[in-house]
Amino acid sequence: MSSKRSVSITVNGQQVAAEIECRMTLAEFIRERLGLTGTKVGCNRGECGSCTVILGGRSVYSCSVLAVEADGKEVVTIEGIGKEQSLHPLQEAFVEHDALQCGYCTPGMIMSLKSLLDVNGRPTREEVKGAIEGNLCRCGSYNNIVEATLAASRESIRKGSHEE
Amino acid sequence: MKNPLLVQADPPPRLEREFTIVGKPLNRRDALEKVTGRAEYSGDIRLPNMLYGKILRCPHPRARIVRLNTADAENLPGVRAILTKENTKGWFTYWYKIPQIAFPECLTYEGHEVAAVAAEDISIAQQALDLIQVEYEILRPTLNVEAALSEPRPPLVGDEEYPGSDIFDRKEFIIRRGDVTKGFHEAEVVLEDDYSTQTQYHGTIQTRVCVASWDGKKLTLWDAIQGVWIAKETLAESFGIPPENIRVIVKNLGGGFGSKANSYRLSYYAAKLSMLTGRPVRMEHSRREEFLVHAHRWDCRIYLRMGARKDGTLTAISQKAVVNMGAAAWKENYFPQMIIWHTSNLYECPNVDLRQVGVFTNLQLTGPQRGPLNMPAIFALESHMDRMAEALGMDPLEFRLKNYTLYGADETSEAIYVTKSGATGGDGQSAPHEESKRIPYSSKKLDECMRRVASSIDWAKRKQYQVSKGERKRKGVGMASFIVFQGVGLPPYEANADVSIGHDGVIRLHIGVVDIGAGQQTIFSMIAAEELGVNLDDLVTHYGDTENTRYAPSCFASRCTSEMGPAVLKAASEARQRLFELAAPNLGVRPEELESKYGIVYVRRNPSLCMDFRAACRYIDPSSPIKGSGSRAPNPDYPNFATFGAHAVEVEVDMETGRVDILKVAAAHDFGKAINPKLCISQIHGGIEFGVGYALSEEGLFDSRTGKFLNPNFHLYQMPTCLDMPPQVDPILVEGEDPYFAYSAKGAGENTCTPLPAAIRNAIYNATGVWFNHLPITADKILTALKEKRG
Repeated sequence: MSSKRSVSITVNGQQVAAEIECRMTLAEFIRERLGLTGTKVGCNRGECGSCTVILGGRSVYSCSVLAVEADGKEVVTIEGIGKEQSLHPLQEAFVEHDALQCGYCTPGMIMSLKSLLDVNGRPTREEVKGAIEGNLCRCGSYNNIVEATLAASRESIRKGSHEE
Repeated sequence: MKNPLLVQADPPPRLEREFTIVGKPLNRRDALEKVTGRAEYSGDIRLPNMLYGKILRCPHPRARIVRLNTADAENLPGVRAILTKENTKGWFTYWYKIPQIAFPECLTYEGHEVAAVAAEDISIAQQALDLIQVEYEILRPTLNVEAALSEPRPPLVGDEEYPGSDIFDRKEFIIRRGDVTKGFHEAEVVLEDDYSTQTQYHGTIQTRVCVASWDGKKLTLWDAIQGVWIAKETLAESFGIPPENIRVIVKNLGGGFGSKANSYRLSYYAAKLSMLTGRPVRMEHSRREEFLVHAHRWDCRIYLRMGARKDGTLTAISQKAVVNMGAAAWKENYFPQMIIWHTSNLYECPNVDLRQVGVFTNLQLTGPQRGPLNMPAIFALESHMDRMAEALGMDPLEFRLKNYTLYGADETSEAIYVTKSGATGGDGQSAPHEESKRIPYSSKKLDECMRRVASSIDWAKRKQYQVSKGERKRKGVGMASFIVFQGVGLPPYEANADVSIGHDGVIRLHIGVVDIGAGQQTIFSMIAAEELGVNLDDLVTHYGDTENTRYAPSCFASRCTSEMGPAVLKAASEARQRLFELAAPNLGVRPEELESKYGIVYVRRNPSLCMDFRAACRYIDPSSPIKGSGSRAPNPDYPNFATFGAHAVEVEVDMETGRVDILKVAAAHDFGKAINPKLCISQIHGGIEFGVGYALSEEGLFDSRTGKFLNPNFHLYQMPTCLDMPPQVDPILVEGEDPYFAYSAKGAGENTCTPLPAAIRNAIYNATGVWFNHLPITADKILTALKEKRG
């Protein structure tokens, strides 16, 4: 009954080849196989958004995508967007605006918002809310998260125009 | 004036300089690791050779195991151990501090544990559960609270147990003062009504999880709990091993809100399975399990009757609150007079007769949740206050201020007593009826909170909204206040802290508390750094671990700041004093002439005479670091300690769809001094999230016939999303002096949700002209009521 398949997935810029069970979710692959535990699984049924990663440029619930579906594609997790010395503007803004408390939804929130900013660098408040309407935060940091995202967007625009 | 800081031994001298750290809106210390995904939660721990555990749960609210066969499961390759009632006889796990049979034959709630399996991987563990054969005799469950009150308790079957039922089940707890008959006689307006509140679930994004590792002598547990020390003690009891052989670690916690107040069976099972197999075991609740077995907020029915003179002076309140306690309750997780305590203390009223009765049922487990019984208590009381104000023709704000008091009841002289049975009408001890003494609060600025939120929401709009009734979308404003008790200090809330300073200049703060996300490690580090006069980054803080710390309270009941704060302050002050004793001779002064800030030790009258804090540390004996320690003293009988606040909201109600949009919340809180205003404001946002859900959408649903839980997931149990949060929040910190606490700081956590549901309800009335007394106020209830009103 075991059915395994070989996959090759690019995770945070690194190509990973593995033999996996077909029923393994992308979240399991990321956490259990690769040990990237920054991605959290809060419900394992596509309701809370804490497991959000970027797959092929779009944010997905990694608990609701099979790892085999990511074969040949690129996955970005929270570990892949910024290190402590070179934070992503969203991460910086989250720290500054206290857009987190317990921190458990934070990686998923940041990945949903990064996927928004990647395609829309100057989102409206409503667009920011739209990007995280599928991410639950029980600590109630929503308003701070929205403020942080708008600040990160402004900061990216400022830096962008400075570089030009 | 005497320094009354609540510490054991002499309180330290007050800082005579301005604050350099306390009161600053600093970023939380763990933010960086949380935004990078590096923060380690207990579920992220991977140990070599680790097994995975799963739990088989009873699908019925009340049943007896007739036959149990694990043979097939045991034979499944990869299964390493199975626990059931057969091989765990005589073993008890702990519900708070009360022992419970680890695997009983008779099960008293849906999801009650039947077996636990450890296997090589999670899939094998799941398969093993499917192979365990259980035959149940389904017993008639108690599901209806009102019906239960008038029935005799059903006889227990086999080993069936309801921990705490002998103390609480159908027992009336009473607060009585003055003479209510006389009080109602004096009243010119008397009004009564019924209110009800629903079950509410914590919905932490991290489900409960535990990794346990037994090495033959020592047990190490990475748990998901709000207090490591209480867990260590009960685990030691359960396994009969010395506490010093148990280490409990919670580096980060993915939300608690009361649900993780103590260790659950999951943790005991993981430990036991590790002992049996000699390998580490990891266990984690699924989301469904989390909904099923974690203790949710009690659903309550509250009857209130109030009398007042025409000028608005309250003359009498009588109350009866009935609480569904589910299948277990204990002194740390059920508060038999909490609902009535709020009614007794929020306003001045000479005559009260307040009764709270709890009923055991087979509807899951209940327990504390952010503002435990404060939420139902304040919802009913503050809703009723608005009704009274209208009946009196008074403005609700004016009516509240009219009955304002700086005093609380003296509980030791007040008639709090218990009757044996609510059903038989009460045969309690005779109650003293004399005028009870009133005791002042150590500080109270609730009047300012009320005025500030009224001003922020533009309270004058209320009258305008009341008369403009034409449009489809109607606006309304409303407000509510609250009081929450503060601190205890007695076991199990004993609080200790230690500071050490080494010859190498390394300063360590040791606190046995968990940072549950409220920022505990940040604010205690800020208190210690302020008192030491060093920079925050100079401090290494050890927390969330029973190793290298002393007993500390769990972070619940908004108690951590008020209980740990003084202990931390004292420990830091003591360590600084010892360092000054070493540094003083080298600066040619006496120790009491020294002061420190920003990492510099200097002479108070001549700051240019100074040395680096680190340089001063070189006088410390390399083999014997400086130590400072602090312990919290218990709350004295006098004065009363509490925190206060008020919320005002503006809502918009769609009269055709019943949709409620909360446009703005103004939230003013008096919790003394904000050690870190940025984190306090985040707590207010968090409280608002809980309050919005409780007011409008969250409710656990049960099948009335079978008692089974119908919505154990985030799809059907609706917590607020970012779209449901008020777009405008005005957090107002009303700070004040309270010398009993560290820099006047009291708890800012759970109480932030308390007044919001009543404020929302009162605003909906202002918009629609309908009083909603039953939470949650969903669109269907609004539509039905509006239809009835139109006739």
